[in-house]
Order: sequence, then structure tokens, then C-alpha cells
Amino acid sequence: MKNIFELIKRHFVFILFGILFIFSTIVLFSSNRYQRAAFLQQSSDWVGSIFEWRDELQRYLRLKEINDQLALENATLRAQMPDNFFVIDTTIQSKNDTLRMQRYAYRNARVINASVNRESNYLTLDRGIVGGIRPNMGVISNGSVVGVVTSVSDHFSVVLPILNPKFQESVKMKGSGDFGLIAWPPGSDPAYADVKDIPKHVQVNIGDTVLTTGFGSHFPNNLLIGYVSQLNDQPEENFHRIKIQLSTDFRKMSYVQVVSDIFKEEQDSLMKQQQVHDGVDDSH
Amino acid sequence: MASMIPINLLRIIFMVFLQALVVSRLQVLDGFVLPWVYIFAILMLPFETPKWMVLVIAFVVGYIMDLFSGPMGMHMLACTVLGWLQPMVQRLLSPREGYEVNQEPTIQKQGLRWYLTYAGILTFCHHFVLFFAETLRFSPFFYQLGHIFFSAIATVILMVIGQYLISVQKSRG
Repeated sequence: MKNIFELIKRHFVFILFGILFIFSTIVLFSSNRYQRAAFLQQSSDWVGSIFEWRDELQRYLRLKEINDQLALENATLRAQMPDNFFVIDTTIQSKNDTLRMQRYAYRNARVINASVNRESNYLTLDRGIVGGIRPNMGVISNGSVVGVVTSVSDHFSVVLPILNPKFQESVKMKGSGDFGLIAWPPGSDPAYADVKDIPKHVQVNIGDTVLTTGFGSHFPNNLLIGYVSQLNDQPEENFHRIKIQLSTDFRKMSYVQVVSDIFKEEQDSLMKQQQVHDGVDDSH
Repeated sequence: MASMIPINLLRIIFMVFLQALVVSRLQVLDGFVLPWVYIFAILMLPFETPKWMVLVIAFVVGYIMDLFSGPMGMHMLACTVLGWLQPMVQRLLSPREGYEVNQEPTIQKQGLRWYLTYAGILTFCHHFVLFFAETLRFSPFFYQLGHIFFSAIATVILMVIGQYLISVQKSRG
């Protein structure tokens, strides 16, 4: 017994190293996005406020650029004011729209931390549960796709952007409407992504527009993702190899909109009902 | 020995913040060169620090760094390895009569050549584990190797420049 204690005492540092090494390895391999969310709950509020403080400083330094952006947006909006339009039709119309209901609501948020050059990137927004943000909401910027919210704390939320291999969303070509999947090769150029699963018989040209499908209910239909920039087709494969230039500039993003789908619960519960129904049928 | 605790604590806090708020934001060659200078705080721990304490300090610094960056565990793993190797490399490079009491592993005390060997070995090991943990594979082998190599060089250069800046300030004051 005494010898065992001697042994432990002599190799104490090595044993401690072993324990810490194994612990870190387990944490590393089990840190998927849900694991990360658990860690985040505890510490995100103070890490978040440090990032927010840094962002405040950086935004001060970028005031000119942001002013230019806002001025441009003002000009665009002003051009759409009713005063600018000459009314051709003289009959008065009032419309109580019973044919359309609002499906998507938008909340604005600020990006306070972002990485673009890592194997898997994440963004942090300055709004959380208190600001009405929930997991699985879509995030867009200037009308083009940014990512999906994965975890939220009281005042902050983490977004899984296109620049992450875990990001999955179906996309379609604007002209033909054919569906594909968007994928970002880990660690590649943050300005580009790949589109897979579009069959060879579909005609694809350089410069074609790629849009969202609205299937996943993260994003509305027909939202801009990017433009085809390169075709690397291989003769032995049945699908195109398409490289697209993303319309979002992830390096310069500072304000985003978070999209919430008002009908999401209805759609999900219907889907669940159907699955339960099918499950019952299978058992008979 | 006890007088060295506050300065080391301050240095750790300062280096972690410098890394998280400034250096990690640098985009050198699209992220190809990515220096992790916060390990300077661990390299600067005095010679007399017990081995187990170096290990624990490194682990905690790694944990804090993880909170600021990507997936959990990367920096914890890399810093644990660093904290284990640091006393070993110090012993390997020690002069025949041993280090003097209350000395720190700095360029001023040990010389540039000693420091480059010391920091070079440890930085390369740390970066190797870190980038390996980040990718968990070596798909484009030479790209990855270049990434590790040039990032480690950038880290060492920044640490050496930093030390000269501090020493200039000290000699002036």
C-alpha cells in the first residue's frame, strides 16, 4: 500500500497530465453544437458583454462606412415613398387584404462577434430570449442568407452561418427551379460555397442566381444566396459541381435581421401528427 | 517567489484579452497565418513554479481561451500539452549549474539563442496540437503543415518583439 502511494507521489505530475489530457479530449470530441450551448449558458453573458464592448469600439472606428450604408439605404427607401409617385388611377380603392396573411416577422440585431477563417465558424448576436430570438430562426442581411440561430441565452444568441460544415439548407436555381443542397468546404474561402445534388441534365450557366426554397421554414422562399461563379463538372459524375459566390459579405457584416416563421408551430405539429399517424399504421 | 504571483496573474489576464480581442481578429493571408500569442503568459512562468502548478495554470488558461473561440476543448488540450512540456524543455535547456534563483525565462536573462530554442519548441508543439484538434484530420497535408509552421513563427516573432518593447520601456524608466 505504501508503495502505491510512493508511486502516485512520484508520478503525480504525469497522472495529473493524463487526467487533464483525457478530460480535454472528451470535451473536444463531444462538443457538438448542443454541448456548446450548455457551456454557453453559463458563460455567454459575460463573454458576450466583453465582445459587445469590443464591438462598440470597432463600430466607432467604422462610423464612416456605416454612415455610407445608412445613407444609401435612406436614399433607396425615400425613392419608394408614395409622394414620389404620380397617381395615374383616379378611382379610389381601399383594400382589406383577406387573401394574404403575414407569415414571416423580422427582428433586427447586431453582430458582436464573428469568425470567418476557421474550420467551423460562428456568429454572436446581441439579442437573445429577451429580444424574442429562439433557436432555428433564420438570419439574413441585406436580403440575403446569413445562417440559422442554434443557441440562445438571455441577451445573446449564437448563429450557425453558411460558413460552417454543419449548415444545411436546400437551395434552388432561379431559372429552372431545380433543388440542390448548399455546403461549405471546411476552412475554405469565406466568399464562396458549393451547391450539390443538381443533376447534369439541368442547364447551369455562370452568373445564374441561387435562391432559398423555403422548405426548412428557416427562411422565406426566393431569398438570395449567391451567384454561380464556377462549374467544375467531372465526366464520371451525375451531378454538377457548382461553386457559388455568396451574396453576403461575412467579413463586413454588422447588422442582420432574424426571421421568425409565424406558422412554424402549425407546420411542425401537422408534420408530427402525420408521423404519429404513420407510426400507428406501421404497427398494425 | 510570492512576489511573482501578482505580476504573472496580471500577465495571464492581459495576454488572454490581447489574444481574444485583438490578435484573433487579425486576418493575415486569409487566416493562413494565425498567431496564438497568449501562450506567452505560460512560457513566462518562473523556473521555480512547481510542475503541477504549471500544468493547472495552463489548463485554466486554455479553458478561458476556449470560451472566447470556437468549439470547446481545443485550447484546453493544446495548453495541457504545453503545460506538461514547459518544465521538461526548461530542464533540457538548463545550464550546467542550473538556473539562478528568482530568474525568469526572458531574452534579457537567458539570451536570444536560448529563448528562440525554448519558445520555438514549445510554440510549435502547442500549435501542432491546436491545429490538429481544430481540423481533426490532415486533409491538405502541406497546407496544414505550412499553416502550423508559419503561425508558430509569427507567434515567436511577436513574443520576441513584445519582450524587446517591454525591456526598452524598463530601461527608459
